Amino acid sequence: MARLIRTEKEVEGRFEELWLVVEEDPLQQWPAGPQSVVGRPAVRQDAPERARGEARYTADIQLPGMLHTAVLRSPHAHARVKRIDLAPALALPGVRGALGPGEAQGLDEEAGFAGAPVAAVAADTFAQARAALAAIDVEWEQLEVVLDPDDAIARKQFTSDPVEYARGGFEQALAEADVVVEGTYRTAVVLHNSMETHQAVCDWVGDTLNVYISTQYIWGVRDAVAEALGIPGDKVRVVCEFMGGGFGAKNDPGEYTFIAAELAKRTRRPVHCALTRREENTAAGNRNATIQKLTVGARSDGTIVALGGEFTNAVGWSGWSAGTDGPMQMLYACDNVRTIRYGAKINTPPMKAFRAPGFVEGTFGLECLIDELAAKLDMDPLELRRKNYASANDGKPYSSKNLMQCYELAQKHWDRRDEVRARSDDTWKHGVGMASQIWYGGGGPPSYAWTRVTSDGRVSVITAMQDIGTGTRTAMAQIAAEELGVPLDRVEVVLGDSARGPYATLSAGSSTTPSVGPAVRAAAADVKRQIIEIAAQRHDLEERVIDIKDGMVVSADGNLSQPLEELVGLLEDAQILGKGARGPNPTGMSVLTFGVQVVEVAVDVETGEVRVERVAAAHDVGRIINPLGARSQVEGGIIQGIGHTLSEQRLMDMETGRILTTSLDAYRMPTIADVPEIVCEFVDEPDEHLTSLGSKGLGEPPIIPISAAIANAIRDATGADVHELPITREEMLRALREADEKARERQRESIGAR
Amino acid sequence: MELVRATSLEQVDGGIAIHGGTEVVPLLRDGILQTEKLVDIRGVIPRGVAGNRIGAGTTLAELEVDPQVPDALREACRLAASPQLRNMGSIGGNLLQSTRCWYWRLKYPCHLHGGDRCHAREGEHREHAIFANDYCASAHPSDVAAALLALGTRVHTTQRELALEDLYRLPTVEERELVTLAPGELILELELPPVDASVYLKAMDRKRWAFPQVGVAAARVGGETRIALAGVAPVPWLLDGVDGLDAATPLPRTAWKVEVARALVRRAVTSVAAK
Amino acid sequence: MSDVLLTVNGQSYSAYAPVGMSLAQLLREELGFTGTKIACNEGHCGACTVQIDGVPVLSCITLAHNVTGEITTIEGLRDHPLIEAFVEADAVQCGFCTPGQVVSAAALVAATPDPTVDQIRHQMAGNICRCGTYPRIEEAIQKWRG
Repeated sequence: MARLIRTEKEVEGRFEELWLVVEEDPLQQWPAGPQSVVGRPAVRQDAPERARGEARYTADIQLPGMLHTAVLRSPHAHARVKRIDLAPALALPGVRGALGPGEAQGLDEEAGFAGAPVAAVAADTFAQARAALAAIDVEWEQLEVVLDPDDAIARKQFTSDPVEYARGGFEQALAEADVVVEGTYRTAVVLHNSMETHQAVCDWVGDTLNVYISTQYIWGVRDAVAEALGIPGDKVRVVCEFMGGGFGAKNDPGEYTFIAAELAKRTRRPVHCALTRREENTAAGNRNATIQKLTVGARSDGTIVALGGEFTNAVGWSGWSAGTDGPMQMLYACDNVRTIRYGAKINTPPMKAFRAPGFVEGTFGLECLIDELAAKLDMDPLELRRKNYASANDGKPYSSKNLMQCYELAQKHWDRRDEVRARSDDTWKHGVGMASQIWYGGGGPPSYAWTRVTSDGRVSVITAMQDIGTGTRTAMAQIAAEELGVPLDRVEVVLGDSARGPYATLSAGSSTTPSVGPAVRAAAADVKRQIIEIAAQRHDLEERVIDIKDGMVVSADGNLSQPLEELVGLLEDAQILGKGARGPNPTGMSVLTFGVQVVEVAVDVETGEVRVERVAAAHDVGRIINPLGARSQVEGGIIQGIGHTLSEQRLMDMETGRILTTSLDAYRMPTIADVPEIVCEFVDEPDEHLTSLGSKGLGEPPIIPISAAIANAIRDATGADVHELPITREEMLRALREADEKARERQRESIGAR
Repeated sequence: MELVRATSLEQVDGGIAIHGGTEVVPLLRDGILQTEKLVDIRGVIPRGVAGNRIGAGTTLAELEVDPQVPDALREACRLAASPQLRNMGSIGGNLLQSTRCWYWRLKYPCHLHGGDRCHAREGEHREHAIFANDYCASAHPSDVAAALLALGTRVHTTQRELALEDLYRLPTVEERELVTLAPGELILELELPPVDASVYLKAMDRKRWAFPQVGVAAARVGGETRIALAGVAPVPWLLDGVDGLDAATPLPRTAWKVEVARALVRRAVTSVAAK
Repeated sequence: MSDVLLTVNGQSYSAYAPVGMSLAQLLREELGFTGTKIACNEGHCGACTVQIDGVPVLSCITLAHNVTGEITTIEGLRDHPLIEAFVEADAVQCGFCTPGQVVSAAALVAATPDPTVDQIRHQMAGNICRCGTYPRIEEAIQKWRG
């Protein structure tokens, strides 16, 4: 019988309560380690069509009569449209429709940042649409601009109320500490830069709106668009079978979708609205800049007794203030913690979630601080981390935690320190650094899947999830194949269409596999049970002696061994249908992911060049479904993080608030030449409390510790404390100079003392 | 707009010449360049290396692997741009490329665009010039130009022969154009006097596919070493000896470039001295 | 507007397009070769890479009317062993850059059948992959002959 419960759901560190109907979940977890299919490397099922250029992305969709859209954006960082005349644009050749402020969600009279959308034009070609923008007559009233986050905080201009957190007595503990280290850390704005820009094609067919969109959440787009248009959700069909990268910026529809939907309605033609790369880098979201003023107090034996931090998120005109304070609250055992986090509302482009939002930035600050503490204590940084190992999260037990095993896996890489340092010469200094990681990633309900077995013995898994490039399609197929006892190539996964499957969660917060995977397993178990019932009746056996293995229906005594397709072939056109739902997360427990990375760097102390030479990663995300895809997630996160650390930075003109690094010659993401040797290891221990899979998500954890690990390796190599991301040559040379000055000062002091 | 495929040099008159197109096409699209007539000059510009002469139509990809080419130039080509851009871009076009200054690329009404200020000087200039930056703080992005400048290259155009340094001029209120080519004048060949040793060193923030933060070329003839820099001034910069960096006038956020340049100049000079 | 005559993957095509239209746009919108992706549309990322006479170039900043050589797009490389190598090495995440990667890689292995790691990194540096599949791409190219 279905049970109605109240449970908790977490996405990107934000929690909410929800009602959930749960079925009794009889499935036992599979034993640890590789099974027949799950836990074994599987190539991506959709890789061939992607590699051959056959996969159809939103950008590739061409519908008969489709119009193209250009968006008019504010040239001012803060302004109001006093008057706007679209008529001159509408009069131009090829122009079929135009929208002004208030005519589609996202087009507003008040522009809160340079690049904010205010109007849109649809025309036969994009060139015509773009040309028409120039004809729109706008009169702007410029409003007061605030670009500096400190300024915004002084004015109490917040995106949300400041978040204060305290446990124990921070002040007193700090006063009693033997050693105190303080530091201010800054991280720059970085940009998602998915290769496929944000875009949608909207096409009305009767009273149904078809939305083809590059998104991380087809169901969320369905609901948001339906709500904006005031139509039932089932009148919006959202399709995204292939999408060219998201990284958190594509969790919601965005103005481009609402613009396309409204223009499609008015013109009665399909409308494509795609951001250009430059618009993408202006208005499609970013990882906001942070300022972190951090303090740690410890006893001389290395016990951390006090942690404090004041965190500022320079959020922008909209967006949310992500949990930069989370790592400080969660990563170490410390009785006395006090943090405050501000979200500064400023006239800059909106923040959007970006691969572990808040924790990437907060871990940079915290893990640098911890290493500076280790240096001051003259203690091994790994030892210091082990000594302050947390055994509970704010009093809550972990559903599972294997960070200590991660440290054990990391030990052999950490032990290379002497050998690495010995490579140093006068110019190039070599060193090793590490950083740990904590993050969410347990997923949660609801998510659903259906399964269908046809009489040829082939299996379809049907669920309205999306594969944003992480390989979740293949992971779902593996889970279904494992449960059903069929070879992987018998299973296809139907996804990316809100009209062709039940609700599935968004692909964000490292949640797709842990959220949808258990539903898929349950749905596979449902059809398996039915097949066994059929086999029992057909062969006059007891159900309990029948199983399906490697595509054969078999009995325990070995007398029955019949191909699945032969058994279900009896049914001709009949089909066996199954369904499954994701159950709740364990009550009263913290479901978290853990990891550690050990980085080797070389620093040219004369030119400030930093080379990341080797990264060893050990992560604990529960059971690994597909080791091949998992390794790619780790490598990808590390490489993206190296970009954040060394070469990526969004720059803005402080006079106008306009973004300067809008093109990819100026915004520099890593190339293949920038990639270090990457060693990737997993604890691969199922979380016994989490679902029938024991799997957590892996999309985000690998990007979290890399920046701090690089900075700590730089300190090991050179003695310089870098406090800013990215670590440009300018910052590196500054830190080296500061370290030199400190060394000279110490020398003077010691001479003076003598 | 029309596109003419030139079969003789005269056909260029009145239009914009296009060879590899890697600079012209994006600038046309952005409206920084405007024309009714494009002239494809691939058919009329010499291509290939013969002794110490390089056809202006030779691509960077061809030069980076050509053993006849001096080390500094080969390395400058190898470290320039991306593989596809090196396949497309000619050496002549490379010398004529515009700055990467974001203000200029985004069409701020700056001095170079005919406006009345340099936005970078007061604004975001961390990748900008350390020399001759009082009127325009842009940094010249050509690795190849720095290498050729150090190598003492002579430029043969459709109208004259000149030293490479005379191809460039610093912008002034009167004349904001950075190259001295007359309308319709095309670079045909580059003539490289023999050198005993040469080298090109480049600081960039990716290992490949980045414009130079600082590029240093050095070429030695006997006991004389010529040093030229990329990414430090609005034009390719001939350095007045090893101590020439003492004359740098960095902006607040470009001081770091002086430090980087010092190290690279020292290394480059040491390297050519030893070769 | 004027006629464009092109040879794409060994076949002749003609189109009528305005001078100034990029080869990428013409291939995708007029001829239906949507395997060639446009990601930056200004020559910085390599997603639009096609070969002209076997040489990788950026079709987004190549004028369609200015092409004289024979074009090879990803559609002409669908049976290339590199495809299988990319699949086996897990060198495909979101896949949006992958066709461009394969086109660049095909030119590389045609010229240098056994490229060193340095050669791969030098010749593939113009193809940006935001998902970070680079180590897998490197492996795929090393193992392209199976």
